[in-house]
Amino acid sequence: MVTHEEIRAIANLAKLQVPDEELDGLTEDMNEIIAFADTIASVQVEDEAYEDVNGLSNVLREDVVQPGLSAEEVLQNARDRDENSFVVKKHA
Amino acid sequence: MQSFSIISKIHEGLSQKAYSCKELTQSYLDAIAKENGALNAYTLPTPEKALESARKVDEKLARGETLRPLEGIPLTLKANISTKGIVTDCCSKILSGYTPVYDATVWSILESQNAVLLGKCNMDEFAMGSSCETGCHGPAHNPHDETKVAGGSSGGAASAVAGGVAPYALGSDTGGSIRQPASFCGIVGLKPTYGAVSRYGLIAYASSFDQIGPLALCAEDAARIFDVLAQKDPRDSTSTGKKESALEALKKPLSGRIVGLVPEYFAGLQPDVEKALEEAKRVFESLGCTCKTVSIPEIRYALPVYYILACAEASSNLGRYDGIRYGYKTAHYTGINEMISKTRSEGFGKEVQRRILLGTYVLSAGYYDAYYKKAQLLRRKIQRAFAKAFTQCDFLLAPTVPMTAFPEGFTAQDAVQTYQTDICTVPVNIAGLPAVSVPCGFDADGMPVGMQLIGGSFQEAVLLNAAHQYELAARSQSFRSAGKGVEL
Repeated sequence: MVTHEEIRAIANLAKLQVPDEELDGLTEDMNEIIAFADTIASVQVEDEAYEDVNGLSNVLREDVVQPGLSAEEVLQNARDRDENSFVVKKHA
Repeated sequence: MQSFSIISKIHEGLSQKAYSCKELTQSYLDAIAKENGALNAYTLPTPEKALESARKVDEKLARGETLRPLEGIPLTLKANISTKGIVTDCCSKILSGYTPVYDATVWSILESQNAVLLGKCNMDEFAMGSSCETGCHGPAHNPHDETKVAGGSSGGAASAVAGGVAPYALGSDTGGSIRQPASFCGIVGLKPTYGAVSRYGLIAYASSFDQIGPLALCAEDAARIFDVLAQKDPRDSTSTGKKESALEALKKPLSGRIVGLVPEYFAGLQPDVEKALEEAKRVFESLGCTCKTVSIPEIRYALPVYYILACAEASSNLGRYDGIRYGYKTAHYTGINEMISKTRSEGFGKEVQRRILLGTYVLSAGYYDAYYKKAQLLRRKIQRAFAKAFTQCDFLLAPTVPMTAFPEGFTAQDAVQTYQTDICTVPVNIAGLPAVSVPCGFDADGMPVGMQLIGGSFQEAVLLNAAHQYELAARSQSFRSAGKGVEL
């Protein structure tokens, strides 16, 4: 069973806020989903070795400079910017 | 000009100058203006962009040049496929107003062919959902009955194509998000093999499952689109380039093919769905196929494996939304931690937050081995089970969804019950295989039923060949005539 405290701890890791009035409902949902996930916990898997599940391997290229986005493009979607920087308010 | 024309007919109409691309485009824009209020398929129509492409096509035609396969053909893109200069918000408040500065590879390919973008279409927020009701622009409705869901997550794409306001659409499929809405709306939806189509510019949900593919009126259209899109892309290291032209393989006779029937897929079906699948099986037999039972018991692990792995990947992928570089940012905060957590809590919808929390939980210390690692090992076991099944048959025939489209509002009641609707679609994503949903009948209320053809890796040509031959054989049957008058 997942407790309120665990939900709060996970939410903190995930950088999400859980309002007090939603804690009961969310804990119930999570317990239901985790119970569902638990159905595979007891399954025995003979071969424990990890390998890439899609049978794909890393693709490398020569280390050659290629055109990228301009600073203007990178900053275009920021809500707060100051010339060529993103603005993040100092910790209060 | 008909509003339900297949691509080859439109291509012919343009090439023979039966109508101009401007007239064609305008007829779709008019249809959108008229119908979209009822469908909510489009979240952002792009008429200026569409007419600009149409003008280029008309100039080319005036010069007597030959049109490429998808040149001048209108389409809509799901709201998670990046388009430079056009808002791509994943139907999430956290990406409200986000305007990409680069194109997804699939759109680069199509735009270089002067494809006509009619607009961006509705989806479940971040593609997390099976009903197209979780997005910030409200639900897309099913053209067959507007009180029913269009399916999800590519519900807007399916609603647009089935509703006659787009000849085709590109969607994405992580656990069934192309095939399930295609099934609910009575159209064809192809989820290609993982790695067949570039994912560059697709806003990520679960990167090892996500795949872009077409929603179209028929298998031939899906083949035409797939052939154009399936290219190796240096910007997506998992893209491989395809093996065989699907369009050229369409006409092959099916005689002698072995169709695998997996009993695990046929449990708990709505009786109308079961009946339609039984009919479909008979059609394949009439085409000279042999049906054979092929059991894949490992399918019973598929749903928990999918939700564990997809949520784990989502919790990592969605970590990037912090309010700093793009998208929504909370108005009031005192420090960076509060800014990020308030931004995320206000910006993400409930289902997205639930999946991020589940993903964070299964990846956290103490639970990693029991959930994430176990699920990865079972994923491989499922893949091997499918590979073994394909040594005994050419493709599998299964339902796409155990039921037909459900009423809107139904899904909000029980999270696990909602996840169960994905039971027939997720195994394919786990195994990275191609599958196509094809309409195969209607239920008693006139809602479409879809069947799913599943193939081995990079066997899209085999699947679309089977789907096309099925469509030709079933054309005379009654369900076709009710299917919005598509000419094959």
